Amino acid sequence: MNYTTRRAYVVLALIGGFFAGMIIMTFSLFKNGGHWASNRVNAHLYSGGQIVNAGSVFTADGEELAKSFNGKRVYSKDRTLRLSSLHVLGDPVGFIASGTHSLYREELFGYSFVNGIYTLKEYGKGNDVYLTINSKANKAAYNALNGRKGAVGVYNFKTGEIICAVSNPAYDLNNKPKDMKVEEGDTYEGVYLNRLFSGLYTPGSIFKTVTAACAIENTPALSSWTFTCTGEYQVGQGLVKCPKKHGKMDFEKALNNSCNCAFAQLAIDLGKEKLDLQAQSLGFGQAIKIDKTLSEKSILNLDRANGFDLAWAASGQYTTLVNPAHMMILMGAIANGGQAVSPYFVEKIVTPNKIVIYRATKAIENSVNIKPETANELAKLFRSNVINEYGDSSFPKLQMCGKTGTAEVQKGKAPHAWFVGFSQRDDLPYAIVVVVENAGSAISNAVPVANRVMQALK
Amino acid sequence: MGKNRREKSFRWILVLVLVSAFQVLSFSRFFIKASSFNLELFYVFSAFMGLEWLYLIFHRLISRRKDFQLEIIAFFLSGIGLVVCASFNNDFALKQALAIGLGLLTHIGVLLISKNTDIAMFLRVPAAVASLGLLAFNLLVAKTKYGTLNWIEIAGFSVQPSELVKVAFVFVGAVTLQKIQSTKSLTKYLIFSVTCIGALFLMKDFGTALIFFFTFVVIAFMRSGDVRSIFLVSTGAALGGGMVLYFKPYVVRRFATYRHIWENMDTGGYQQTRVLIYMASGGLFGLGIGEGKLRNVYAASTDLVFGLVCEEFGLLLGLFILTAYGLIALYALIAANRAASTFYSMAAVCAASMILFQVSLNVFGITDLLPLTGVTLPFISRGGTSMISSWGLLALIRAVGLFGNSATHPANKRLEGEGQ
Repeated sequence: MNYTTRRAYVVLALIGGFFAGMIIMTFSLFKNGGHWASNRVNAHLYSGGQIVNAGSVFTADGEELAKSFNGKRVYSKDRTLRLSSLHVLGDPVGFIASGTHSLYREELFGYSFVNGIYTLKEYGKGNDVYLTINSKANKAAYNALNGRKGAVGVYNFKTGEIICAVSNPAYDLNNKPKDMKVEEGDTYEGVYLNRLFSGLYTPGSIFKTVTAACAIENTPALSSWTFTCTGEYQVGQGLVKCPKKHGKMDFEKALNNSCNCAFAQLAIDLGKEKLDLQAQSLGFGQAIKIDKTLSEKSILNLDRANGFDLAWAASGQYTTLVNPAHMMILMGAIANGGQAVSPYFVEKIVTPNKIVIYRATKAIENSVNIKPETANELAKLFRSNVINEYGDSSFPKLQMCGKTGTAEVQKGKAPHAWFVGFSQRDDLPYAIVVVVENAGSAISNAVPVANRVMQALK
Repeated sequence: MGKNRREKSFRWILVLVLVSAFQVLSFSRFFIKASSFNLELFYVFSAFMGLEWLYLIFHRLISRRKDFQLEIIAFFLSGIGLVVCASFNNDFALKQALAIGLGLLTHIGVLLISKNTDIAMFLRVPAAVASLGLLAFNLLVAKTKYGTLNWIEIAGFSVQPSELVKVAFVFVGAVTLQKIQSTKSLTKYLIFSVTCIGALFLMKDFGTALIFFFTFVVIAFMRSGDVRSIFLVSTGAALGGGMVLYFKPYVVRRFATYRHIWENMDTGGYQQTRVLIYMASGGLFGLGIGEGKLRNVYAASTDLVFGLVCEEFGLLLGLFILTAYGLIALYALIAANRAASTFYSMAAVCAASMILFQVSLNVFGITDLLPLTGVTLPFISRGGTSMISSWGLLALIRAVGLFGNSATHPANKRLEGEGQ
């Protein structure tokens, strides 16, 4: 072998680079192919700007939310169903990023890496998507919100199926208002946002769930702990206030009364590190997987909090913000003996020739961690809340457990009304979150919404 | 020894039957669905397959060789190009079949020239002069076609002289540098290279200029080990850089959309985005010949043909095609390593590098892994001169396998005499 032939190995380097390019090209097709193929200039899928023939979207109880007909997207004839399912269905253009139309665009077109868009060409139609949403629950929630902004979510804490997902304001897909103003204060403020998955609100007293969990795990002899509420509680220069004098209470009664003063003292005794750690382990600061999308992160930041701030943070004021879906999952974990199940809203995807190409499976959500004993203790306390404070008459025959929250927001505006909870009936393994923006007291604004939705599921 | 065993294990007739079966299958598509029998296409396909079998059988009888990997790969690729052309119209198919025939003639011609290194030696100056003449003629009568000036029209056919010069470029380089030469002849080759690349820049054919430059670097590398060769490379690089700067507006525009095609979907990224969209739409198995939508995009049968093949035949076949190009280069490497003659190994390595580099520029250019330079895909893209140059370059690779090892060869004797 002479020197020139030895140098022929330069070809080997070239071949190596060439194969590396092949692998990168294939991988990038594998990763982005669906995104590319569903591009609006793809003449296989679009004709004159309209989707040629995407698959249908069905609710769990068989309502067809959307289908393609004559090259156009057609929606349910039921106006309330259209409005209540707007966010979980999504618009055809993709403004609503967490909707089925956006998240499952490739599947609706019938795209797969292996077959490309062959399904659509062969059958003239994409895949059908079946949701876990119950149309009755969605409509009940939308009606119960009665035009007020807010979000309602219900999910099966044993399986993860989201039964109800409603966000208001919503608009009618059949009659989209022209020039919708979506800025703060407008009628359609944040209309493209699914408030359940992407909203952030001041929690108010529903945050006492976190403080209570921390107390259960860290306060010695909590069973013999008592506190006397005089209606206000001095911390440093500030005053934590209650709406009335609650008098002498044990821990259970303090939670029943949602006594701000008692929780202020508990939090100060616990210290902000412990409260912070508890919140992190319950999923604060983490985006939680919801089907193919992620929740907005709940925020608790006590780094710069003084004693007075901490005292108010214990009752969900200060700078704390929570995501409604996160609260729903937290309730699910408490109801389910400490195990949080990951929520989803797409049950299955079926090809035009009736082959099920996707079926949802139960998955454990690891970012929400709660000890089984703590969960069981909280469940007892939340049942006691309903029995002793809100009344079982507010939730007829539901065996509800829960916690209300009336979250003070801006001065001059009514507080947000919250209800978080779950049913203990074996045939209703549902956790629920209700938040009604600037509605007033939780008892008279959030609790009735929760009841109406749960009754629709009975 | 190893070679003999390999020749036996390579069942060329079996592979040829498989390739033919694939071709019959893809050709038959035009006769199953058609309402009236397309006689013209039938003749075109029959002629192509007849050519394929006759050439290989004759070759087998004359040379008694059994290794026809290269030819079968080239026929396989050419056949795919022919199907693509036929899926557009009969005229394209007829012209493409003629181009394959001309390519095969060129292939045989280059093989005959390469057989005797004395003839090759003698022809190097005429080849270089003819190349420069062609390029000069091109520049004089150039027609600006789609931004480049690299086309001339002869008797109704558009011809790309730079494609033909490719074969001569490798040939001249390999002959000139086959053994230690005087500084004078090296300088001559340097001038030849610089003139070729310079002419391509003047034609604004940046892609082909890049291919020539790359091949030049490979030739220089093959010869390196002495200061002059390194000088060759650095001069070349400086020249390349200078040219890029000189034509900055044009080059910069080319590069502007690179890795930003989705933001420029209807301007500079038009072709690349369509290629990716329709490649993805095709999946692994394709939508069927003629069923694609990329064919409606400009240059679908030439520069973008790989995207079209992936959409209609499937990504798997696309990857198989790319592997076939890799195998051509691998053949060159293995055969060059066994060759006793520097001329043959040099020619094979440079020709293979040129082909593989051009395939990379084409395939990775249209898929946005490299900047888009608008070069053709060897053997498959529609176009006569591209086909002729592909088969011509293949002959330079084939020559090392056929003649490179012959101990009785005058050129090899001389080399041995010089010692190492």
